[in-house]
Amino acid sequence: MKRRTFLTASSGALIGAAFVRPGFAQQTKPVTWWYESAAPAQKEAISNVLVDGFDAANPEYKLVIDYRGSELDKQMRVAMLSGSGPDVVYTAGPSYVAPMARAGQLLSLDDYAKKYGWNDRILPVFLEMGRYDGQLFALPKTYETLGLFYNKAVLAKHGWSAPTTIPELEELADEALKANLVPFASGNSGWRGNNEHYVTIALNSIAGPENVYKALKGELPWTAEPFVTAISKLNDWWQKGYFGPNYFSLETEQFFAQLAAGNSPMLPSGTWHFQYISTYMKDNPEDLGFVGFPSAANIGAPVYALGVGSTLSIAASSQNPDGAAAAIDYVFSPKFYGEMNSVWQGEWNTPLVDLSTVKISDSVPALYAQTMKTLADAVAANSYGYTSWTFLPPATDTQLINGIEEVWLGRASVADYLAKLDATFKQDMSEGKVPAVPAR
Amino acid sequence: MHRLFLVPTLAINAIIILIPAVLTIALAFFRWDGISAPVFIGLANFQSLASDHVFWGALINNIIWTALFLTIPIAIGLLAATLMLVARRGSAFFQVIYFLPMVIATAITARIWQGMIYSPLTGVAGLITRAGFPLPSPLTMTSTALYGIAAVDLWHWWGFLCVIFFAALRQVPQEQIEAARIEGATFWQTMRYVLLPGIRPTITLMMIMTIIWSFLVFDFVYILTQGGPAFSSEVLSTLAYRNAFYDLAVGKAAAVAVVISLFGLATTAVYIRLQAREYAQ
Repeated sequence: MKRRTFLTASSGALIGAAFVRPGFAQQTKPVTWWYESAAPAQKEAISNVLVDGFDAANPEYKLVIDYRGSELDKQMRVAMLSGSGPDVVYTAGPSYVAPMARAGQLLSLDDYAKKYGWNDRILPVFLEMGRYDGQLFALPKTYETLGLFYNKAVLAKHGWSAPTTIPELEELADEALKANLVPFASGNSGWRGNNEHYVTIALNSIAGPENVYKALKGELPWTAEPFVTAISKLNDWWQKGYFGPNYFSLETEQFFAQLAAGNSPMLPSGTWHFQYISTYMKDNPEDLGFVGFPSAANIGAPVYALGVGSTLSIAASSQNPDGAAAAIDYVFSPKFYGEMNSVWQGEWNTPLVDLSTVKISDSVPALYAQTMKTLADAVAANSYGYTSWTFLPPATDTQLINGIEEVWLGRASVADYLAKLDATFKQDMSEGKVPAVPAR
Repeated sequence: MHRLFLVPTLAINAIIILIPAVLTIALAFFRWDGISAPVFIGLANFQSLASDHVFWGALINNIIWTALFLTIPIAIGLLAATLMLVARRGSAFFQVIYFLPMVIATAITARIWQGMIYSPLTGVAGLITRAGFPLPSPLTMTSTALYGIAAVDLWHWWGFLCVIFFAALRQVPQEQIEAARIEGATFWQTMRYVLLPGIRPTITLMMIMTIIWSFLVFDFVYILTQGGPAFSSEVLSTLAYRNAFYDLAVGKAAAVAVVISLFGLATTAVYIRLQAREYAQ
């Protein structure tokens, strides 16, 4: 290209851009959303299903996802403090919403709830959890529960069956130990928060959800007898070796692989593990079973502890709150639910009231749909339990997670652990940090 | 007029160091969740720390860490640097080899050790265990977790000290070394009476910096154990981080930061005094 031609072409392009740019900006206004870490396949799902789907349905907006990694919540807090956060505020759960709402960093969603009909489309319990001082500030991006995954092939090989009571569970675990298997595929390397899954199971399935509810409302101390029994039982399981010798070395995917490979018969944890089936059990997905974690005799049926791992809000400083509301609304559409859960299970289980119009791919294990329906029924019947990461304030949750290791490793007694938990909870409660707990 | 040249440096220092430092000290006397308005609570954060066994455990761990790093890497670094000085052949090659771990990002070093050395599934420890010699990961036991992390940091750190000491040793007058050799001094005598006194200011500086850095240690601990199991490898900086970003107790975290700074300040004061004494001599 000759120099003059190049200059003419460049000038033309610049002038053209100067005229086109404002028009482009008016047509598509960006909606920013900071997301946590995601694997390549998950990023692809977000790009194809969320971004492309939303942009196509809302030509006036352009959704921009920025992956911020596992430290997202810290970055978000700093950004919100300086008023420079994204439009869509993604928090690590309801306990993070209250302080932000109290500080005026979030926009009330009540008007958008009316506009988009969220009050009718979303299960009421979840709307209640997102309220602060009577106003709606957050909606759950996904809800989940804890239970017991098991490897059907391993159970069949040894002539065992899935446990339905605590004695049956212990009998199976003891048999597994005799067969040189690790009874519970589990670990906390890389994410110490995994500890709380086991504590939550013990509190709900042994102490019972009624007692947990009373404790969350401040009507029963965490040092009460039902909690002592629950944590003592959990400690007994640890001391008997149910969690295996490599608990502090295994990462989440590694212990799921341990279940998939048949080195463990059971995996007590959350429904987000369904996402690993396609990687670790793609040749034998039918070998995976899931039941509610067995409960103590006085409780009866399995308790499905309700968990909200992340929430969606709109920043008060947002330059495009309408676009952010449109993006959140898109996430709560049956179309998005079906498309996203067809390719990525366990992380986008939005609490829609009506799932009858949702179409999920046939390739998704039926077990996943069944489990989510069971959880939805438990929520609708008000017979759910409480996960620590959803209903406990931050400092109490940290004590629950870290303190249990002291009990397991003999550096603190069950009584000491619960006393510190109770003291921390009372402190959090006096500071108004306890998240909203829907009435039973 | 020439004093004006100080203005840019002072301005940068005030913005980057002085203001955040003053704010941190002030925050130590407040209850603040990092989001809402801070509430003045006097010394309550320090009282809370004083009655917290995790804080004392973290402080002791920092002291153990300091003791480890004041001895092992400095001794290895000095020995290797002296050997390179004596046997010059290949010293450039060894300098590169020793320094290499220092240029690898700490996160990568930590993950390599976690996955390829310590892991019972994918690491050397697992290989040895499967060969019939049970070798649990040190990171998983309360009695060894801190030392397991220190081993990784030592591997990454001593080469840096070695290169620094080697550079300093090369400044020791060759005549003194030759004279010692002619007088029949052994290797250890040369080291004791010629080389070490010759690089004493460098060693002192490195020891002072080691103390300061030891109270700031964070990355390897956070990546390898996050302070666990059961707080056994918790250090002050990971405690402060947990308080600030997990417990939403920024005031308490600031109080921990003040304690860390006190150790740094005390060490710096000692260093300045030593320097002043040297100038006086």
